Amino acid sequence: MNKYALLVFSMAILAVSAGCTKDETTSRDSGLAGVNVAVGEKKGAFSKLFVLNEGNYQKNNSTLDFLRFSDGNYVSDAFGSMNPAVVQGLGDTGNDLALNDGKLWVVMNGSGYVHVLDARDETLLSSIAVPDPRYIAFDGSHAYVSSYAGAIYGGDETKGKVYRISLDTYKIDGEVEVGCQPEGIAVSGNSVYVANSGGYNYVHENTVSVIDRTTFKVTSTVEVVSNLHFLVADSKGTIWVSSYGESAWTQDADGNWIQNMSEPMGLYKVAGSTVSSMNNVHVSCMTLCDDGNIYAIGNAAEMDGGFNNTLYKVPVGGGSVTAVALSATDAAKVGNPYGICVNPKNGDIYIGDADYTGPGKVWCFTKDLKTKWSAVAGMLPAHMVLY
Amino acid sequence: MTDTLRASVVSSTAGSLLVPQRITSRELKTVTGLSEAVRRFAGVQLRDYGGVGGLRTVNVRSLGSEHTGVFVDGIQVDNAQNMQVDLGRFGLEGLGSVSLFSGQKVSPLQSAKEYSSASALYLDSADPVFRPGKKNNFIFGTGVGSFGTISPRAIWEHEFKGGTALRLTGEEVSSHGRYRFHVKDYRQYPDGSLAGYDTTMTRANCDLSGIRTEARLSSPRSSDSFWNIHAYFYGSGRGLPGPVYKKAGEYPLSSDRQTDRDAFLQGRYVRKIGEDWSLALRAKLSFSHLEYSDFPELVPGGSPARYNYRNHSSYLSAAASRLVWKFRINLAQDLQYDYLDADLRDFVYPGRLSSWSCLSTVFQTGSLDASANLLYLLERDSFLSMGDRSSAKRDALMPSLVVRWKPSGRLAFNGFAKRSFRMPTFNDLYYTTVGSKTLDPEDAVQLDLGAEWTAVETGRNHLAMKADFYRNLLRNKIIAVPTSNQFRWSMYNLGKVSVIGGDLSAEFVTRFQEGEAGAVARYTLQSSRDRSDREALTWNGQIPYIPLHSGSLNLYGSVSGWRADLTLFATGERFTTSANLPAYRLAPWTTLDAAVSKDISLKEGGLSIKARLNNLLNERYEIVDNYPMPGFNFMCGITYSF
Repeated sequence: MNKYALLVFSMAILAVSAGCTKDETTSRDSGLAGVNVAVGEKKGAFSKLFVLNEGNYQKNNSTLDFLRFSDGNYVSDAFGSMNPAVVQGLGDTGNDLALNDGKLWVVMNGSGYVHVLDARDETLLSSIAVPDPRYIAFDGSHAYVSSYAGAIYGGDETKGKVYRISLDTYKIDGEVEVGCQPEGIAVSGNSVYVANSGGYNYVHENTVSVIDRTTFKVTSTVEVVSNLHFLVADSKGTIWVSSYGESAWTQDADGNWIQNMSEPMGLYKVAGSTVSSMNNVHVSCMTLCDDGNIYAIGNAAEMDGGFNNTLYKVPVGGGSVTAVALSATDAAKVGNPYGICVNPKNGDIYIGDADYTGPGKVWCFTKDLKTKWSAVAGMLPAHMVLY
Repeated sequence: MTDTLRASVVSSTAGSLLVPQRITSRELKTVTGLSEAVRRFAGVQLRDYGGVGGLRTVNVRSLGSEHTGVFVDGIQVDNAQNMQVDLGRFGLEGLGSVSLFSGQKVSPLQSAKEYSSASALYLDSADPVFRPGKKNNFIFGTGVGSFGTISPRAIWEHEFKGGTALRLTGEEVSSHGRYRFHVKDYRQYPDGSLAGYDTTMTRANCDLSGIRTEARLSSPRSSDSFWNIHAYFYGSGRGLPGPVYKKAGEYPLSSDRQTDRDAFLQGRYVRKIGEDWSLALRAKLSFSHLEYSDFPELVPGGSPARYNYRNHSSYLSAAASRLVWKFRINLAQDLQYDYLDADLRDFVYPGRLSSWSCLSTVFQTGSLDASANLLYLLERDSFLSMGDRSSAKRDALMPSLVVRWKPSGRLAFNGFAKRSFRMPTFNDLYYTTVGSKTLDPEDAVQLDLGAEWTAVETGRNHLAMKADFYRNLLRNKIIAVPTSNQFRWSMYNLGKVSVIGGDLSAEFVTRFQEGEAGAVARYTLQSSRDRSDREALTWNGQIPYIPLHSGSLNLYGSVSGWRADLTLFATGERFTTSANLPAYRLAPWTTLDAAVSKDISLKEGGLSIKARLNNLLNERYEIVDNYPMPGFNFMCGITYSF
């Protein structure tokens, strides 16, 4: 009899805990109080905005924060709080953050790990060792991670790789060599596209490698412009890739050093083998939003040595690009736009603001760039995802 | 006039208007490295990356290590490349004293450069002493200790006819450098629960092998002139363990290596001319070669990126001194040329011509000494730009005022005001891979008021206290933070720092028939606030790595050739950024070190044995974030001299 009572009692507990995990408001991370920064923020379509702070190089201080929409609280270092026994926490230099099938994928460049987290409560499900990982993309069965693959600045020219990770086993089940220092990556149709920067080379690379998903081999290489970085694929199969541009240091008559851009940090559209430049769009960070727009922030005056941070909205289906100078808006307070994310439902714009001497900030602006809230983040808040 | 000369002969710090903090050769015998001695000084924060081969630099009164000049026999140890002087590269044998001047040293016939740095650390050699009838001294010794460290050394001292003395020193050190450390983090949750991890790791790739040879010739003592010549060579190869961070797989955190070759030849000549004038000439040639190899850890067997840096420096100084009524006038002119050659991509091969001109006056009357000094630094850089040599100028006027009033033999008050500029280093300016090329010199203004009081002075007991309160303002501060490794830095002008500080120390000695016992306590308060950006989170925060409170306590006793020494160091909480949030806090730490030594007199010489036990409490701590320091470790030494 006692045995049955125990069984019934255990099942009751199981049912309650299962109920808890289903209900977001009582998710295990609801115990993390955080700081209330967003009074009046409505829950809306999303429950959390995740923020990955890159941390400083080899300082092991990358952290994962989130803003909880239900109560407007900003929780710092949620990963550390939910996974206290994980030695050395998230690790060093977080470089990408992505959501896929209810799981949060955190790409740790310095530590050489790709962490898989339960997006509901940030608990660690798996850590996959990937050398020098940079950016991540998914199809239905795999994750694809671009990698520098051991290259060092000033060393031998070393080709980068794309690693393929099975979503069933969380193990690497394929790798393919691409160009040097590959960065942004995206899946479209039967191909994986990756932007080669050649950032460690004396002359930067200027190509996008196209990998066939079935054979997992590079099938073609498309020339774009030099020093490519971000890469996204829209729903029509068009590839959008940004360049970090080219610069040179020179000295003026008074002996002051100036960094002159010789090529802009531009945005390029790759449709098949046709490359076109989105003239006068400058990109220091960008995101492709589900509302069918690319949002980017860049310095519109970079070619003249001036300073004019501008928000660009590029409709991927065609139409005119809108550009708004941040200086004329509440977003003038953003010191160093380091990451951007846009809420497709209400148009809110989230900007990661890096401070190179201390912790950064996360800003939330309405689509008209009126301040909604801001929060103190970790070191170099760069990557954001809505859940 | 002979006073001036005698002062210079005895040591480069004797006869100074301000009394420095000083560690004598007696105290130096209880430590195994220079940094262990220097960290005892009040107002000093030692930056130590840990281990046998870890870089060790000093930061005095929150101004940064580049503001502290290190002088060997009154001539500065330069490094135009990064202005970091690694205290691990100097030996203790042959040193007479180590002195720290916070503010302005003013002594007769000093060079112009001696007026230029905000603080100055003086390493003064002791001239060889020969027993009556002896012309040669031989000293052989070796140190053995933790981390597989062995350091044999040999010294030969010889007196030539006429009294010229030679000292030849050779020391070798080798060590695997490995030690275990803890990585831990515990979190307290609102419900009171505690969770976290504590794991042990081993520091690897931290071996060191080095050799140091020195030759020093010193003239016989004469009332009219004296000279010395000093040649120094240091060569080493070491692994750079790098910071500790999470890393996947079996790959090492770092396989990077560094080899060094440092050499200098310096000389000093001091002479009395006529009845009124005395003259000092100094010259130095130095060369250093550093090769840094960055190994691709993820590609075992891959070839490293190698970087070579060659620093060349030549220095010439003339100083003249004369007494005019109650004023001593000191005129000094120094010239130096530095050149850096490096095989970096797009390197600009910077050269720097510097001229320091100084007019200094010391006024003496009764119990009052005052000094006014004016230094003009003219600096011209030339470097490659777009294929041509281009130039930059940075000049600075550095005035200082020093007053000392001694109303009684037991009480003295002193004060100084000083403005000094720290020029950007070649690394700050001309690195092509990292760093800003638009840096201004750092501007340091120091104001200080202090008092010294000898409370008890009987034949048996001595109790003295010293207090200094200071206000420092640092503008355009260049902050260097190690990025990928200890050798590569990222630079930024942090802006303004406002320092309010206090250095307090007390020294007690009691002597008895067979020996003596004593205690030295030192406490440092430094409220060093970041005043760079009123809108930033860093506004008014304590600047990185400077504790509000720190101090040391040294207890010692000696009896019939035995000496025991116990030293406690305590450093309060620090932050790695001026945004003083809990996530960026470094825990306070306390270490306890002990040393025991015994001197045995033999018929023909002496034997000295010492054992030093460091970090007796096995404290797990970090001075630099992610560079764990070793736990308990020891070093033993034996020296035989005849």
